[in-house]
Amino acid sequence: MENVQILLCQHVGAPCAPIVQVGDSVKKGTLIATPTGLGANIFSSVYGVVEEIKEDRIVIKPDEEQPEEFEPIKEGDKLEMIKEAGIVGMGGAGFPTGVKLSTQLEGGYVLVNAAECEPGLYHNIRQIEENVEATVRGLKYCMEITTAKKGIFAIKEKNDKAIKILREAIKDEENIFIHLLADIYPMGEERAVVRECLDILLGVDKLPSAANSVVINVETLLRITEAVEEKKPCFSKNLTVNGLLKDGHKPHVFFDVPVGTSVGTLIEMAGGIAEDEKLGEIILGGPFTGKSTTLDVPITKTTGGVIPTMEFMDFHGANVGLLVCACGGNEGRMRELADKYNGKVVSVVRCKQAVEMKNGALKCEDPGNCPGQAEKCIKMKKDGALYTIIGNCSDCSNTVMGSAPKLGLKVVHQTDHVMRTIGHPLYRHLTISKKADQLPNGK
Amino acid sequence: MSITAETAKEHAKDPAVLCCRREAGTVISASDLEDPAIFDDLVDSGLLNLDGALTIEQVIGAKLTETRDSLNPITADVVEGAKVVAEAEDEPADIPAGEGTPTAAPQAPIPTMAGPGGVLKIHIGEGKDINLEIPVGGLGNGVPAALPQSADMVGSAEAAISAPEVAGEEKVVRTLTRKHFNITEVKRGPETKIEGTTLYIREGIEAECVENQKLVTDLKLEIITPADYHTYSETIMDVQPIATKEEESEVGSGVTRVLDGVIMMVTGTDANGVQIGEFGSSEGYLDENIMWGRPGCPEKGEIFIKTQVTIKEGTNMERPGPLAAHTATDIITQEIREVMKKLEESLVVETEEFKQIRRPGKKKIVIVKEIMGQGAMHDNLLLPVEPVGILGGKPNVDLGNVPVAVSPLEVLDGCVHALTCIGPASKEMSRHYWREPLVLEALHDPEVDLCGVIFVGSPQINAEKFYVSRRVGMMVEALDVDGAFVTTEGFGNNHIDFAAHHEEIGKRGIPVVGLSFCAVQGALVVGNKYMTAMVDNNKSESGIENEVLGCNTLCHEDALRALAMLKAAIAEADIKGAEKKWNPNVKSTNIELVSNVTGQPIELVENEQSLPMSQKRKEKYD
Repeated sequence: MENVQILLCQHVGAPCAPIVQVGDSVKKGTLIATPTGLGANIFSSVYGVVEEIKEDRIVIKPDEEQPEEFEPIKEGDKLEMIKEAGIVGMGGAGFPTGVKLSTQLEGGYVLVNAAECEPGLYHNIRQIEENVEATVRGLKYCMEITTAKKGIFAIKEKNDKAIKILREAIKDEENIFIHLLADIYPMGEERAVVRECLDILLGVDKLPSAANSVVINVETLLRITEAVEEKKPCFSKNLTVNGLLKDGHKPHVFFDVPVGTSVGTLIEMAGGIAEDEKLGEIILGGPFTGKSTTLDVPITKTTGGVIPTMEFMDFHGANVGLLVCACGGNEGRMRELADKYNGKVVSVVRCKQAVEMKNGALKCEDPGNCPGQAEKCIKMKKDGALYTIIGNCSDCSNTVMGSAPKLGLKVVHQTDHVMRTIGHPLYRHLTISKKADQLPNGK
Repeated sequence: MSITAETAKEHAKDPAVLCCRREAGTVISASDLEDPAIFDDLVDSGLLNLDGALTIEQVIGAKLTETRDSLNPITADVVEGAKVVAEAEDEPADIPAGEGTPTAAPQAPIPTMAGPGGVLKIHIGEGKDINLEIPVGGLGNGVPAALPQSADMVGSAEAAISAPEVAGEEKVVRTLTRKHFNITEVKRGPETKIEGTTLYIREGIEAECVENQKLVTDLKLEIITPADYHTYSETIMDVQPIATKEEESEVGSGVTRVLDGVIMMVTGTDANGVQIGEFGSSEGYLDENIMWGRPGCPEKGEIFIKTQVTIKEGTNMERPGPLAAHTATDIITQEIREVMKKLEESLVVETEEFKQIRRPGKKKIVIVKEIMGQGAMHDNLLLPVEPVGILGGKPNVDLGNVPVAVSPLEVLDGCVHALTCIGPASKEMSRHYWREPLVLEALHDPEVDLCGVIFVGSPQINAEKFYVSRRVGMMVEALDVDGAFVTTEGFGNNHIDFAAHHEEIGKRGIPVVGLSFCAVQGALVVGNKYMTAMVDNNKSESGIENEVLGCNTLCHEDALRALAMLKAAIAEADIKGAEKKWNPNVKSTNIELVSNVTGQPIELVENEQSLPMSQKRKEKYD
């Protein structure tokens, strides 16, 4: 078994400080690093010996034997245990859950983000299908802690099986409801979840608390239940490996993967990369918001996907315009893709609705609702672009398709190589309604 | 891209087009609509067909009955609850002026800017915060446009201005008399004198000129007669009337004596032979590089007393260099002025009287003239003792470029000694002010009350530009005028403050008409929503700075259009949005319409095509 590398920064905030020494024996659940500011405890995910402590990670050599038992967190009230367990937003954002729940909603809402919006990922929905009881209990703990009056699962309407199971599970729950989402990207954006469930559009700088709510990822609920009921620290992760795999580009869902496992190991667990096909890149995360990675990189509490992709089309050095927005990769990621496509970037435009935050990240003013893109396409065309690489949401991609092809601008979506690999339709025209029909009374 | 409610209001009569896919049941608001500013581009690109489109004001609040994709015009069959707007019936969708359509009318080719219909969107923040967004055409391509107004608008404007007002008594504030002395020959001689119609210039005066100015290393004096027009010359830095005040008269009033048939011309280089000019210079054969008869230029037939001044190397781009060249030349002019003062009255061939008339009860207007103030040759001496003299004049750069109020007669009496010598085609020579067409037309127009002229320098740095611009706003506010002109010379850098002046005046609710060379090369780099009424001074065939002296400066034809436009603006007539590309026909149409209304034909001046082709023009321009 390979060494496990546990990163010291797996959350929003400052990196944690190691509290173990090289040579220390650790167990599953041994606290190995603690926050230095905003952050969450970090635990060993294996039995083993600390082999190396680097600036950004602790390297543990695992033992041969890996029993199921773990070192429990200390007893406390529910919120304290969530904090103690080092739980962070498992959907990818990584905000410390204990901090998020330290709020009194007094009649507000706990919104469960079960959108699983990134195409090609399946572990959230699979979790509902296979472990709905613990998930619903997690929600109830959150509602109790925050004194929320309502809990709402936001889930895409396409997930018939999960919805059926969920409906059954909550049918007697007085305060828990389901809100169905259309199958478009990015319904899982936090502010999109608030907008869809509560019909409140938050400003880019506002948190869900401004709408008297918190948004919690569905897997986070599970970790909360584990912490509260089993005193289990957060050291494992559910995720999906999908893409250019030997067994025909099928998704592999893994539950409770030890944090610190490498991308390479996960790919091997999924059968390995298809040998007769040429690898494009490996994405850590989802097709829209993930980044390219390498085999030795470890997963963290926020990793949702590992996706090896097919090779890139060759633009043969053609001029490329980048339409950067908040939904997809940042400009750096888009430029990387242009390189991989062997294109030459001659124009970079930004969606009108993408607002730059203080940390440089972009946020969309109204995720999933297009502000128009014709002017941007004209601009790229005028700048001499032959191709445009876009990272837009379903609605904006549709708008781009309304003008770019007629302008002679060939459209390539940032996710195309992934979508082709996994046999998912490309993001181009939008043919479905952005509004889903709701269940009677949200049940 | 989707628009704001404010933009929707501005474009109320423009076609409504979805910016993005919208589903059936959507109640249409501004954020669902594409920005009409890019329609031209969309139509050009084949992306948009506006047939049957309802207007923005009709569809706001209406409900979409079918799901429609982006760039689909909203037509009556896909909405319910569209408003019926009365005017919309009479004046259907505001489609860019086609030929012969009744609504298409006077327009002036203009720079494109942010205003309604403009395509160049620019936000001017506080000096250091200037966002330039140039989505279409690009500057290189030129994005001039036009601001038409309808013919009947001009008519109604005139009516509105002249009819209902109680006309007060005209009041003559002051007068200026010009006594003309004719010169037919200029010779050198032992002393400077005028005998009959012959002007003698003292031999050896050049040495005194050089001696007088430290930075001047050489000065040659040439007498250019019409026979010598095909003579090579260094860049022309200024053209000046030779005029002097009679005793006890001050510039702007009393009596001025002026020589006819002869002008002073300052030319020069630095000691390395570099022209005193940066963006283009007019060196070359005189007859190929002078646009005869422009207000700032010589008339064909006039004799030039031309100095060729050499200044210390490298000083051509610093303030003292060009000023030294002018000062050295003025030593000669001043000697002539002294002689003129003693001339017998019997030699006067013509006497002209200019009256500064105020017309209480008429629409009160002011002319704001932006002059160069960036330093080096971009300077102007204001209010010298003698017409276009040096002595007593204050450089507007030293005055901080703040607005200075002068009377129209001071302008016409040479209160500006211009040092602007670069971008020859669009810069105003000293003689330009002496014959300033807008001042003359406004002064003589019985329908308006010209209260004064404000000169404001164009500083180099943006913070200062906005500083002086705010002063312009306050001054115009204090004058309580009904309308204002803003003129500028040159293009590019000075357009930033030119735009800011419009904003400062416009935001006070005062209609403002701008005059500038724009066309292709001078297309505005900035703009704001008050820059809707603009007149383009371009005369050149291809809309460029062709380095032909005075070619694209303000002429009578521009002044007349501007006056008509300001009257229309004061009467609150709408001025149509600019055309996307520079279209010289807009000007012709406007000229025709103005002249139809006034009943006076407007003769257009010639352009560089009437001149012999210079090698430079052949290579660089036409």
